[in-house]
Amino acid sequence: MRRLENNPNEGSVGFQIAPMIDVVFVIMLFFMVMAGAVKVERELNTTLPGTAETSSSADFVDEQIITIAESGEVALNDETYDSAENHLLPQLKATLMRLKQNADAAKTPALVTIISDPAAKYSRTVDVLDALAVAQIPNVTFTVSVEE
Amino acid sequence: MAGGGGSADGGEPEFQIAPMIDVLLVLLVFFMTITSAQVLKVDKTITLPYAPDAQKKDSSRAEAVVNVRWEPTAKKASFVYDDKVYERSADLTPLFKSALQTGQKKITAGQNPAFRIVIRGDREVPAIYVSQAMNCAAEAGISDISFSTVNKN
Repeated sequence: MRRLENNPNEGSVGFQIAPMIDVVFVIMLFFMVMAGAVKVERELNTTLPGTAETSSSADFVDEQIITIAESGEVALNDETYDSAENHLLPQLKATLMRLKQNADAAKTPALVTIISDPAAKYSRTVDVLDALAVAQIPNVTFTVSVEE
Repeated sequence: MAGGGGSADGGEPEFQIAPMIDVLLVLLVFFMTITSAQVLKVDKTITLPYAPDAQKKDSSRAEAVVNVRWEPTAKKASFVYDDKVYERSADLTPLFKSALQTGQKKITAGQNPAFRIVIRGDREVPAIYVSQAMNCAAEAGISDISFSTVNKN
């Protein structure tokens, strides 16, 4: 590619490649910086419980129950973990990881049911699902406690 | 793209500005199209909950997406499916059933062929409304549910 020469006698300004490359680099830099700040949609997966026919008898495993109160308080088997404002739930995560290790050692699946208060915020349920994802517990069921 | 061009005298080929502008315009149109397509897919009224450890979205699967909106002033939730707003969750069940039927036809022997429902709920929405959407999926015979989140707060 040859740079066009600017002939002072003709009076017209020729195409300058250097400032164009400058601009292109600035735009590229802008997109590179912005790429890091982009919010990416992710997902937390769950499967609804159902019935399955088996040829041999199956042992029923202990089910761990996590309850979410309207205030955002999270309890595992009636024992409260972390404060209602803490979104990262470090105590619950640590307990769930231990639970998963124990279940793996006993060669039984770790089964967790989340029972949320109907008025509790959905974001709190996602906090708990996120903690379960960290502990690598896939058998999770989510339900809402029915008011009587 | 056009050729390098050449001077009439048959010397060294000159830089052609016209094809370069063509290419730049094509690139610009391409980026504008994909950006607007992504914007259209996202419901701006919904603030997705934050989950730093959630999985990367698997876009290869056959799925139906339902948005659960929350109006804090009216304290009212609504469900959006296929750009239509539904006040009652029960209206979603027949839609999910037909989505399952059409979705299963498209499924090929992939890594995970099960049809799923993706719930995009606002972070402020009470859990009961998300549960209602899940109930509709269960009634339609879909057991695979995914919750959409974001990786940054």
